[in-house]
Amino acid sequence: MYDQIAKYTRKLVADRSALHGWIAFAAQDDHLLTAGEPYLAQLAGDVLGRLDALGLVAARPSLPFADFIVRRTSDQSLIIPRDTETRTFLHDIPFVRSDEFAAGGPELLARLLGNRKGVIVEGVGIVAVGAVTVEQAYINYSSVFHAVFVKYLQDLLTGGFLLPGEREALEGFRSDWLRPLTADGLVFRPGPLTEPALILSEVTTVGRYTVERGLVDSFFGNISCRGDDMIYISQTAASLDELDGCIDPVPFAATSTTGITASSELAAHRRIYETSDARVILHGHPKFSVVMSMQCEREGCEITDCWRDCPHVRILGGTPVVAGEIGAGGLAKRVPPVIGESGRALVYGHGVFTTGRQDFAEAFRLMVEVENWCRHEYFRRLAER
Amino acid sequence: MNGWTGTILKVDLTSGRLWRETLPAEFLHAYLGGRGLGVRLMRGFHTLDPFAPEMPLIFAAGPLCGTTAPTTDRLAVVSRSPLTGTICDCSSGGRFPRQMKSAGFDALFLSGASPRPVVLRINGDTAELVPADALWGKTVPETIATLADAGSVAAIGPAGENGVLFANIMVGEGNGGGRGGLGAVMGHKRLKAVVVDGARSVTTIADRQRFQLACQDVLRLFRASPIIFGELGIAEYGTPALVDLVNQRRMVPTENFRRTYFPESRNYSGPAIRREYGAQKGGCSGCPIQCLKLTPRGEYLPEYEALSHFGALNGISNLAAIVRANTVCNELGLDPVSAGATLSAWGEGRGRFPAADELPGLLADIGHRRGDGALLALGSRRVAEQLGNPGLSMSVKSLELPAYDPRGAYGMALAYCTSNRGGCHLRAYPLSHEILRKPVATDRFSFSGKGRIIKIAEDTNAAVDSLMACTFSFLGATLEEYAELLSAATGIEYSPQSLGETGERIYLTERFYNCANGFSVADDLLPERFYVEPGSGGDGIEVPAIDRARFDEELQKYYRIRGLTPAGTFADPRFLEKLP
Repeated sequence: MYDQIAKYTRKLVADRSALHGWIAFAAQDDHLLTAGEPYLAQLAGDVLGRLDALGLVAARPSLPFADFIVRRTSDQSLIIPRDTETRTFLHDIPFVRSDEFAAGGPELLARLLGNRKGVIVEGVGIVAVGAVTVEQAYINYSSVFHAVFVKYLQDLLTGGFLLPGEREALEGFRSDWLRPLTADGLVFRPGPLTEPALILSEVTTVGRYTVERGLVDSFFGNISCRGDDMIYISQTAASLDELDGCIDPVPFAATSTTGITASSELAAHRRIYETSDARVILHGHPKFSVVMSMQCEREGCEITDCWRDCPHVRILGGTPVVAGEIGAGGLAKRVPPVIGESGRALVYGHGVFTTGRQDFAEAFRLMVEVENWCRHEYFRRLAER
Repeated sequence: MNGWTGTILKVDLTSGRLWRETLPAEFLHAYLGGRGLGVRLMRGFHTLDPFAPEMPLIFAAGPLCGTTAPTTDRLAVVSRSPLTGTICDCSSGGRFPRQMKSAGFDALFLSGASPRPVVLRINGDTAELVPADALWGKTVPETIATLADAGSVAAIGPAGENGVLFANIMVGEGNGGGRGGLGAVMGHKRLKAVVVDGARSVTTIADRQRFQLACQDVLRLFRASPIIFGELGIAEYGTPALVDLVNQRRMVPTENFRRTYFPESRNYSGPAIRREYGAQKGGCSGCPIQCLKLTPRGEYLPEYEALSHFGALNGISNLAAIVRANTVCNELGLDPVSAGATLSAWGEGRGRFPAADELPGLLADIGHRRGDGALLALGSRRVAEQLGNPGLSMSVKSLELPAYDPRGAYGMALAYCTSNRGGCHLRAYPLSHEILRKPVATDRFSFSGKGRIIKIAEDTNAAVDSLMACTFSFLGATLEEYAELLSAATGIEYSPQSLGETGERIYLTERFYNCANGFSVADDLLPERFYVEPGSGGDGIEVPAIDRARFDEELQKYYRIRGLTPAGTFADPRFLEKLP
């Protein structure tokens, strides 16, 4: 298991969701082992030893957003993620204030993690558990980090800066943490691609690009390319930066169910191919796009569960925004009708779909454009409030 | 009491006495219902011979049965298996469980043996045993048709009456309480059927708003799961959706597990069945998935296991013959998994697997224990022993293995051996992570971590089988959502962790019963074939024989995680006394 711990420690550093040197894992089969920063490793072991689970990560996030969220509220003990993906799988994220942690320690964290996948500990970081693998602990950490990121940026838009140091932290985040988002330097294979081996290779490569350029966290998102009579699509629960062997060929004609393990968004991909001239599709959850997709200014609207029920198509920087839950929950019906012309669509609280009529160069460029526009628009609106 | 009714109906079939008893609340809280409750109620009876009149046959529903909690209208039937000698529980759906709960019962406890065939009839507040001489010898559909006006039916067919060691209890015509031969236990009690017509829904919910929110969370996860509601998933194609996948992964048991690849399986894949039969959806009450598939005329179509074991395992690719074989099993009340595997072992032993057109006749012979069927009715282990070649039986603890070759998934290999009812994939359901990538993918050709993973999954599934939720729900949802449902329904706070602890209590109780009946590490073993013969590799997939030393190492890790001795037994002979 040490190899798994080393791998996911590297990933946390590479995706910059955790601070280098402030990461620890615990894992157990017939005995408990820990690795990483000594204080966090001790904590991770003490918590996991109280749980019937295989892996646990305790790490300090690279951004102070979680602590700010905790301190901005005085009467709550959990946050409810606003983005639909993490809310579907996490429901809510408990947090523990520093005085509660001093009193309750690992026992308290174990009790909370006996009920939820991740917990925020003020002054310590994010602790997340994986029932069956170390990777699962990493995924849950990543989900909590994503949910916190989105919620905090939304909170700032609606509530502004409330605490000392928040404004400075955000400026530091903007100038130091955020990087220019571009497709520069990436090499895409010119399309249309028809040879299965080339398609598999290109999908694997572009999947890795999306993670490396920060368009998706490793575990989120999906990607596909159509061949003559097949859709080649990433598998469910696949990391986009590790797609080798994790791409399902799915016949357009329903002649085989081998693709039962394909991404939950297979129906959306298929429908887009059926109704447009797209040859490739990218779907990611770039964070500013997710935040901005939820900034609706319609007044007097009676819809409350906008992410599911909103029937309207809004336009955000030239990109249509629609509602719809994951998988069979409506997204597959609402995205295909709006994505054809521009090759891009935003799903409320979820993420971005882009297409390419020839190859992934176009789809990737469009996703970069959408996220850059949303990033710019976010800071413009924040400055204006 | 919210959730539970708190009442059990006890029936002494020997004397014909029926009476109600109150179930202790601490039993219900500690064992939930379904499998857990049944297993707890078996304490003190667990070393009896399966066919002893005093051996109870327990029907138990769960605390969420009768509510709108998705997939929870299910029933566990619990007793000791005559096929394996282990504790045994079978889960089935249909409409019977909700009716039983609506009649006011969490469980039925059936003991003794009637001097003549009877039917237990429950109608609202009344319960009675009625003579059933005229039904004895009837098929399951005939029995159900006769009794249908009196309510939902759980019945045995001729196989159960004749003591076939893998006879099912059929809950409705298409839901088999399969595996382990509890139909034969029912037959020995001369109980042809239980028919129940519940008066009204009696399951009350403590916090209805919280309950509805939890239901929505579950359904959202179902919709997000490609395995459940995906366009190639089980809601569309039923479990036959697995035919193509398992074959592509080169782990489909073929010709008695001599090979692991059967290209002709495309003849009975999910799309093939839809095309040939116009398959329509059907399933259990309260289930949004509706994974059973029927013909437009209402004939139940085979599930994955039956397709594969009458198909690849016997080298048969004729879909019509497989469908017919499955229908014969449903009519006679036979477990198609054990039937197909027993025929296959017998086929290898005699040097010729059954031909497609021989299946119906052979199955009828088994159900009536005549001709070759007299031997085949004993299951593959006894058949192989009588043929002088015990290695032909592809079973663990005498339970025939289902349609996933363990050389293609090492968690499955371990889970077959640690399952308390013998070689079964459903106790830990490693298919979910080793093949279906839920909740995350694990390396199917590695034992690393599998001891812990299987232990956790066994505990989880013991809790699931006691909530009486469907295993397939957990290809989308998790214990987080079901703990919330249970808490909202009962008003008692449960968490995934506490449900896991409940599952562990249930699992260890079962293991203790088995150890009391002589089971140990020597029985936690795969057939020799899997350790010495490779599977059918190809398309870049190698399927080597399982490394026996590595298997043994992981099994010992599993024992340590479980707190068992190296012999797989309990160091403390008074272990059970410490449990509620």
